[in-house]
Amino acid sequence: MNEPIKNIVFTGEWLWLGNLGHAFTIVAFIAAIASAYFYFQHESTKDNSMLQWAKRCFQLHAISIVGVFVVLFSIIFYHRYEFYYAWRHSSNALPVYYMISCFWEGQEGSFLLWLFWNALIGLVLQRSAKDWESPVMVVIAFAQIALGSMLLGFHWGDFKIGSSPFDLLREQRPDFLNIPILGQLGVENYLQVFKDGNGLNALLQNYWMVIHPPTLFLGFATAIVPFAYSLSALWRGNDRGWIAPAHIWSLVCAGILGLGIIMGGFWAYESLSFGGYWAWDPVENASLMPWLIMASAAHMLIITKATGRHLFTSHLLVQLSFWLVLYATFLTRSGILGEASVHSFTDLGLSGQLLLFLLAFLALALVVVLQGKQRKIALFSILAVMLIPMVLAYSIEAPASVETFYQWLKGLGTCLFFGWLIYYIYVLYQRTKMEMSDERMDSREFWMFLGSMFLILSLVQVFAATSIPVFNKLFGYKTAVPTAADYNKVQLWLAMPIFLLMSLGYWFKFRETDIASIKRPLLVNTVLTLVAALLLTIGFAIEGYQFILFLVLTTGVIVFNMVYGIQKKKTEWKRWGGNVSHIGFGILMMGVLVSSVNKNILSSTKEGIDMAPEVDQKGNQDNKGIKFNRENQLLYKNKPQVLQGYTANYLDERKGLGVDSIDKYFKVAFVEKDEKGKTIDSFVLEPKTQNNPKMGLLAEPSTRHFLHTDIFSHVNYESSMDRKEPFSNFRIDTIGFFKPFITQTGKVVMTIDSIRRTKETAGLKLVLAIKAKRLGDSVWLRPEFMINEQTGDFEMKAAENDRFGIMANIINLQIIDPNPAHQNIRFVIQTGEKTPVWDYIVIQVIAFPWINLVWAGTIIMVIGFVISVLNRIDKQKKLMV
Amino acid sequence: MKPFHLILLVLAGVGIATVISMYGNTTQYVAFPDAKRIAIENPGKAVHVVCKLNKAKPVIYDAQTNANRLEFYGFDSLNNESKVIFTKPKPSQFEQLEKMVLIGTYQDDHFLATEILSKCPSKYEDAPGAVKSNK
Repeated sequence: MNEPIKNIVFTGEWLWLGNLGHAFTIVAFIAAIASAYFYFQHESTKDNSMLQWAKRCFQLHAISIVGVFVVLFSIIFYHRYEFYYAWRHSSNALPVYYMISCFWEGQEGSFLLWLFWNALIGLVLQRSAKDWESPVMVVIAFAQIALGSMLLGFHWGDFKIGSSPFDLLREQRPDFLNIPILGQLGVENYLQVFKDGNGLNALLQNYWMVIHPPTLFLGFATAIVPFAYSLSALWRGNDRGWIAPAHIWSLVCAGILGLGIIMGGFWAYESLSFGGYWAWDPVENASLMPWLIMASAAHMLIITKATGRHLFTSHLLVQLSFWLVLYATFLTRSGILGEASVHSFTDLGLSGQLLLFLLAFLALALVVVLQGKQRKIALFSILAVMLIPMVLAYSIEAPASVETFYQWLKGLGTCLFFGWLIYYIYVLYQRTKMEMSDERMDSREFWMFLGSMFLILSLVQVFAATSIPVFNKLFGYKTAVPTAADYNKVQLWLAMPIFLLMSLGYWFKFRETDIASIKRPLLVNTVLTLVAALLLTIGFAIEGYQFILFLVLTTGVIVFNMVYGIQKKKTEWKRWGGNVSHIGFGILMMGVLVSSVNKNILSSTKEGIDMAPEVDQKGNQDNKGIKFNRENQLLYKNKPQVLQGYTANYLDERKGLGVDSIDKYFKVAFVEKDEKGKTIDSFVLEPKTQNNPKMGLLAEPSTRHFLHTDIFSHVNYESSMDRKEPFSNFRIDTIGFFKPFITQTGKVVMTIDSIRRTKETAGLKLVLAIKAKRLGDSVWLRPEFMINEQTGDFEMKAAENDRFGIMANIINLQIIDPNPAHQNIRFVIQTGEKTPVWDYIVIQVIAFPWINLVWAGTIIMVIGFVISVLNRIDKQKKLMV
Repeated sequence: MKPFHLILLVLAGVGIATVISMYGNTTQYVAFPDAKRIAIENPGKAVHVVCKLNKAKPVIYDAQTNANRLEFYGFDSLNNESKVIFTKPKPSQFEQLEKMVLIGTYQDDHFLATEILSKCPSKYEDAPGAVKSNK
């Protein structure tokens, strides 16, 4: 079916723009190769002309990457839907400021962003790395080659290298050319039909999504620099000069990555409806893992710089952090997480290439570390490990006949990979180990080292849990992904020793400490901490010994570092960096504790008519079925409902701006009253729903931020989601005056209040006045009944009320006593209801106490990183002069 | 042995213990009969069931009666059928879900799910039929 298409000249396509973009991609790729080659030559021969060439090539590369960026943006900006990427990820309605978000919805855009940051980092290194430029830039350029290959988009049959963002829609989706309308228009005019794109994922259309991904990616990108320095040092025969610059970059990375992670949490909190900022989702974990190790590495580098110890561990951690970045990329971009994650990433069938990408860096590291003859063995094993079993087994779906063989290949590849990794670490150890006397327990480095080890322990758990989908795929297991509770109960305990070491570490001096001199300040600090923690425990109303212990230790982090700063550093603000970071981290963790332990689901309900008995996760029998998971309340319109100290009233809803808006805002008024019934506070929340045709109901929470508490709300269900049918639930009652009767569901109570009789030409007209009541609200229904006195025929006219969604109809009369004065008359009345009978929303409302500590702590922590980085750069400069 | 190495050894022990205990706590994706068995042997232990909605039977959700109760029938991966009660509001486009993962425990005659992980098949995905023609 594709054959005739090749001869068609399609109209209206801007093919030149795509060709330009593709040309930039290729130029960037080749320039990266050339730059790597020239830098390598310069490092080997010290020929300065090589350095000049290398610099120029990298600059050309950087310019080309910007070119690719601009072209891709233009394609989206000018709505050129002949290009698959634009059609897939954008639409006409997309505002300009969200167009940049299209870059991170697709894989190609994400790789492009990474290339862009790396190119920028490369340009910075060209100015700052001085005599380390060549070896470091070899590694950066190598990364650019690997990343650039992801965008090449070369195809040979089923085999492909990379995926180009400039692929054409009609090539990616040839089925589109078969849609019936093109029969009349002519296939060559297909663009006249494809005038709008598929659109950007609604969840990405949020201002936090404009800044969070680039920040995170910058954090990821900077992780390569310490790695590059580490390899360069090994290349140069175990040179020690790498430590200072690597330390600065590790701080830059940890600061930016930390900020990016929390920004992601803030986005999730503000615009997703899971009710929190952290869910231990594999994608979140993937970004946390490199951060944990980078933070650990930053401390290790301090030790090595100050005392010369732990050189091996410094190398190992710095490299591990970068590998975890690559592993994170593999996890999130290969589609291996499948249904383990709520984040949906499209799988472009690049798993094999992503693995190659990971392995290529390990191979590079191995080549650098190995000396002499060993190198050849290394290269041989590269071929064996990389090319043959794993990549094949991963990149091609196994035909059923050879499935076990593929499984076997994967197993072999995995074993080889780990064997290779262990061998690499062994060689690295041999190269960098030092014979030194044991460090003393009264030295700062001892406590710092211990702290770093606990960070690694924390990583081990996150890694083991997050990698479960990978193990499932590798070994065919069916292990379920751990829940957030599984993470929390481990991480809670692993964090505590870290807090303790963060508090104490600074008070020790490098090499050895005069214990007698720090006894007093430590004692004073401990007392201060205990007093502060006692007050905080009462103030925050924390219960449970493990949480109180956690609070004491986080308080300790803040107090010990604050006092240390004031005593030792006074107003030398430049030197405060580390302490400020620690204080920020302490505040952040305190906020995490208080906002999650004392999280209060205000919308918990005790309704649960037929749920009993139930057993909760701890095995507690819950006879009334009220204990757990009753987290949503139904609010009828204009019927205030008490939600634990707040009165919530669903007032109204409004449509989003724009004629065809599918957004709906529900106005819910909250009033907080004290025990005497005096109003303390009142505010209105407007949780939003978007009835998205592609994704169903998207609930966007609405949160009221107070200094001490956030009130978070989101709508899970609303009455219009029930189908509105004409009347149903019919019921017939034979009833006299003033006797209450109900509709079928019993939600509306009616009474016949009075009757009005009028003589008309056609006969006698009876109009009943029926009062319908529900929840203190009432309406009148006036059904009519007309009797033709001559013929005895009758006509009926039902009465309806839209607001209550009910109807009533008189279908007959039973006159017991013909004397109307006695009013002894029965009416046969049919009632009906519309489902739902009245407007309602199902809402979840959560109070997060002191969640502002999380955000404040993050900002303080990042400020600490900034101070440290500036101070270190300053010191470096002074050393150079 | 040097005290430093002792500390490293203890830390490694803690790490291994953490991982082992975590894997010990994980659950497998199971079928409904296994879920029933586990509920008897180990009351309260949450299990994961990969489930497909039985579209032939009614999905009952009446927010006005109980906003936190959804009842439906589903098949596990081995095609065993079970009644399922979910303790949250009905997820959007529930009837169109291809596959979901239920987390919860078996009770009496039904699986009580406290969490449903779902991925809509059409999530962001475009069907050729969904092509917008010229406005």
